Amino acid sequence: MEPLAANGGIKLFIPETYDIVWSLIILVILGCFFYKFFLPKFQSIFDERSAKIEGGIKKAKEAQESADQAKKKYEDQLSQARVDASKIRDDARSEASRIISDARTRAEGEAAQITATAQRSIESQQQQAMVSLKGDVGSLAAALAGKILGAKLEDEDTQSKVLDQLIDDMAEKTHEG
Amino acid sequence: MDIITLAEVTGSISVLGYGLAAVGPGIGLGIVVGKTLESMARQPEMASKLQTVMFIGLALIEVLGLLGFVSLFVV
Amino acid sequence: MVQPSGAVLVAAENGPELPSIRDFLPDPILFQGTPFAINRIIFVRLLAMVIILLVLGITASRAKLIPSRWQGAVEWVLDFVRDSVVYQVMGELRGRRYVPMITTIFLTVLVFNLCGVIPGMNIAATATITMPLVFALWTLAQYLVTGIREQGLWPYLKQELFPAGVPWPLYIILTPIQFLELLVIKPVSLTIRLFANMVAGHLLVAVSLAFAQYYIIVVSNKWLALAGVSWFGLGFALTAFEMFVAALQAYIFAILSTVYINQSFPEED
Repeated sequence: MEPLAANGGIKLFIPETYDIVWSLIILVILGCFFYKFFLPKFQSIFDERSAKIEGGIKKAKEAQESADQAKKKYEDQLSQARVDASKIRDDARSEASRIISDARTRAEGEAAQITATAQRSIESQQQQAMVSLKGDVGSLAAALAGKILGAKLEDEDTQSKVLDQLIDDMAEKTHEG
Repeated sequence: MDIITLAEVTGSISVLGYGLAAVGPGIGLGIVVGKTLESMARQPEMASKLQTVMFIGLALIEVLGLLGFVSLFVV
Repeated sequence: MVQPSGAVLVAAENGPELPSIRDFLPDPILFQGTPFAINRIIFVRLLAMVIILLVLGITASRAKLIPSRWQGAVEWVLDFVRDSVVYQVMGELRGRRYVPMITTIFLTVLVFNLCGVIPGMNIAATATITMPLVFALWTLAQYLVTGIREQGLWPYLKQELFPAGVPWPLYIILTPIQFLELLVIKPVSLTIRLFANMVAGHLLVAVSLAFAQYYIIVVSNKWLALAGVSWFGLGFALTAFEMFVAALQAYIFAILSTVYINQSFPEED
């Protein structure tokens, strides 16, 4: 086998003119294609995509914020309503207790008044009874005593004396009893 | 063949030369790749960086072997 | 290399059609003799260019905000070049300006390399020295321009040719090396790496498949057909490997271009 160099292997490393020409033409065409068309196109696509993704993220953030705000508002309203409700409940409770206590005082007052009236009427009746009883008992006792004593109590004077003493004794007895 | 000639090589000696030229870069490539693997095993987080540097080193060593290949055609 | 035995040579005198360097130096088929001559590889390259323009052009013109599956894949590649190649090496601030260039290089080299495994093309569009060289020269121009723009001509040359922190007698050795490194070694190594990879890949696949074809079809021997099948398996595996190498070389070309451009920036940080 002969050395390759003897077959003109060196030619491999010597550029031919037409080869240089075509290589340059091809490189220029491809370079223009990549620089002017292909890469700018994809760059714009990449930019657009990242812009869109950023816009999407921003929009999502905004939506999140508005949702947060709505939630906060709702929660505020809810807590406000809760406070209102508890206030109303407290008011109602104090009102009720006030009404109850009012009613109680009024009832007690009426009861006391009724009791006092009753007391008074009882007393007056007692008084009356006492007066009438005094009259009755006096005449009854005088009659009874007249019957028992007979003649002994002829004169008016003695009769009256005895009668008074008798009533005093009775009153004393009643008071003690 | 002369009577004095004790041994003779037929064919292209350039091929032998290329074989010899391939030995050094072969060893060198082995060392580079081995060391890179070792480093990657130690620091996996550096792997991509190491790989890039490894390829650069491989390329620089490879050209030595290819010079032998070229001399097969030229000389 | 497998040496066919004498018996086989008798059975088929002409042997397998092994690939040769003629594969990479095809004769012009159109416009011979003019600077616009087209040979097979250039034709493949033009075809690849048309494919890129059509496929990516249609993808871009139909690109929507919500990507389809294919658009998602293209976007993934673009993201990969931007984040894993450019920004990883240079950072976002410096790298933004160079994303289009690196993307162009990566996608073009990738598609051109993949032509090597596409049936019917069967040769990478980067498989002449010129195409990688043109890419490498573009990188060279870019990093020189970047260095001069970012630092001015003299500070840039000073940084490159007289690295700080070296005792001055060493400059006698170092400066010529740095000069060569700057203007020759970087672009040539980029070129050679890509070109030689494509050549070697094509030779490997073609040798495997040539032997497979030879042992299975040309040689009428059942036992050797078995060898042919294993050659075919190897060719299959190497084709898959070629696809991997195509992507890897595109990646390496892109990342090294980025690294070289990044080296033109001032070194303070």
